Amino acid sequence: MRKNRNVGIVGVGQSVFSSHREEVNQPEMIHEAVVEALQMAGITMADVDCVVHGNMELFEMVHQPDLWHTIGTGAWGKETLRITTGGTTGATLVAAADHLVASGLHDIVLAIGFEKLQEGHTTGGITNMADPLWGRQLQTGALTGMTAAAIIDEFGAERARKAAMTYRILMDKHAMKNEKAHRRLGLEFDQADELAVNSPALVGELRMIHMCSQSDGACAMIFASEETAKQLCPQPAWIRDHITVHREEMFCIFGNAPVLSTHRYAAQKLFARNGITDPLSQIDVFEMYDPSSWWGIDWLREFLMLEGDAHIRMVENHDIAIEGKFPVNPSGGVIASNPIGATAMVRVAEAALQIMGKAGQHQVPKPVNQAMASGFGGTMWTVLFLLTRDIPAMG
Amino acid sequence: MDTTYADSFIVEGKLSLPYQYFAGRTGSKFIISLRDSKKILGVRCNTCNKVFVPPRSTCERCFADLTQSWVELKDTGVVTGFTVIRYEEPHQPVKPPYILGMILLDGADTPFPHIVKGVPISQMKTGLRVKAVFAKKTTSTIRDIDHFLVDESQKIEIGYTYDELEIGMAATFTKTITETDVYLFAGISGDFNPMHLNEEFAKKTPFGTRIAHGALPQCLIAPVLGMKMPGLGTVALEITTRFRAPTYFGDTITARAEVVEKIEAKRWVRMALTWTNQHGKLVAEGAALVIPPTPLS
Ligand SMILES: [Zn+2]
Repeated sequence: MRKNRNVGIVGVGQSVFSSHREEVNQPEMIHEAVVEALQMAGITMADVDCVVHGNMELFEMVHQPDLWHTIGTGAWGKETLRITTGGTTGATLVAAADHLVASGLHDIVLAIGFEKLQEGHTTGGITNMADPLWGRQLQTGALTGMTAAAIIDEFGAERARKAAMTYRILMDKHAMKNEKAHRRLGLEFDQADELAVNSPALVGELRMIHMCSQSDGACAMIFASEETAKQLCPQPAWIRDHITVHREEMFCIFGNAPVLSTHRYAAQKLFARNGITDPLSQIDVFEMYDPSSWWGIDWLREFLMLEGDAHIRMVENHDIAIEGKFPVNPSGGVIASNPIGATAMVRVAEAALQIMGKAGQHQVPKPVNQAMASGFGGTMWTVLFLLTRDIPAMG
Repeated sequence: MDTTYADSFIVEGKLSLPYQYFAGRTGSKFIISLRDSKKILGVRCNTCNKVFVPPRSTCERCFADLTQSWVELKDTGVVTGFTVIRYEEPHQPVKPPYILGMILLDGADTPFPHIVKGVPISQMKTGLRVKAVFAKKTTSTIRDIDHFLVDESQKIEIGYTYDELEIGMAATFTKTITETDVYLFAGISGDFNPMHLNEEFAKKTPFGTRIAHGALPQCLIAPVLGMKMPGLGTVALEITTRFRAPTYFGDTITARAEVVEKIEAKRWVRMALTWTNQHGKLVAEGAALVIPPTPLS
């Protein structure tokens, strides 16, 4: 991607994520994240040129929520933009903020992703809008057991189920290190067999324990031009590149013919133009949008362009643990916290915190020079980010 | 291009999306105060000195924390804007038509919407003073204030203004003249002419019995001009009367005024006057020149 100038992430703020935030209304919850991000960046709202605001449209049944939310976002009197691209909204917000600063339109941009899923009717919205008998080239809803079935087909039931539970428990162990995470269950590996049987079944082999939560929460990030970022922050997280890929239909319209996933396609393009030939060694941490343990496993293979059972072995060997060879989701990931409009932004925000060395208890115990973050949404949308510790070369 | 297509197939869909939202700590305190103490709370921004109602936890202008600066507001205020809801939907708080006003409470800087009652829709206007009427039964919502009632004392009625008057508009007042009226009028005016008071004297006059003072039926035009046409606030400049027949005790007199001329240069109005009795006989006729009421500020 050709850039006019570099953009650095200089502030990250997150509200506490929870199944319901009854003590705050929407703008108040957003305000928590905004204040934290401003504090980290060492600026006030007066320094912010533009506010980018996003959530899932109508998930909270508020028309044009950005107007009401001005009370908490600080957007009064500022340029603002509202973005809603489904599950990828959070990552698209980051992409938009990057464009706004890189283009030279603004020096400092605040992006806010939020969701108060407890107040709306998420599944009613995304599942019931599809017409089951009339494809409308539209498949909605995140609850699907197809990936589980495919992994079981390929690797056998026992190995597949065990890998899914290992992935799940590793993510929970990460969430336990993240005080803001929603679901922190304190799972142990010896509970795997029992959970794999006793957790309520959702669809096929997809069980409640595998699935992400519905959360209330907000994330705010502050983006600055290279010059400004250097003044504000000793170590910004630099946006090296990002890519957005989507396809209209969820599955291959020609039936079961092999299909190139948007994840793999995005990774191929992004790696090629950034000289990444060995992602496992060139990327230090990956914050992946993992709506369920099954997708988590499968998508490792896609994003890292792995073949055979390499992705399963990564899970079995705990390579993806925070202290492992290739840490994935030290924050606990989407399985732990899923305020949808914020979720994909939290991936980039957490990757940025790892670069900045500000991830606290869940900072990975090794130098983080390059981090990757992904966003996912229906039907098949992928947004993939590369962040670096060093200022990217202008090309 | 012809865009009609008679065979177009329609796929029906329906979404039913119930929802709820948290008022939060600040919003909840506002509701609890309405419910438990019938008090309307707001918050003051100590930086920009604005008072927000309903309360919010931050000032979006200066980003100050407002959660600790509560103020109690009066239950009175002024309507700064309004609309009339005439269509009916299940989610509406009351049956249409009703008035939804923006109420700026005394001491507040931000108006908020609520239902306004106590004024006909046709006479609703901004600037009316209102007072909160609390609901008899709590619902733990903003409807613990049931509505805002327009303050009666400020309703200043006036008659037809010059611009509202049209040629041909008319009004009447009718009253039966009794012996008591005549005696009282004699006292008021000092006119103790025996024609009005002494039956034996009156028998010898051309009328053969007592008659009322001419000015007594004549003054029945005053309630017409002053209270009906043009009405409240009218100033009479000139009234001329030609008496045509006597008024006997027990006669029922109808005084009538009709707009006959609008004098644009002065914004005065000329009225034709008649007085008739119960037999339709013309008792008197005349004219009046009046200044119609002007809108009060
Ligand atoms: Zn203020």
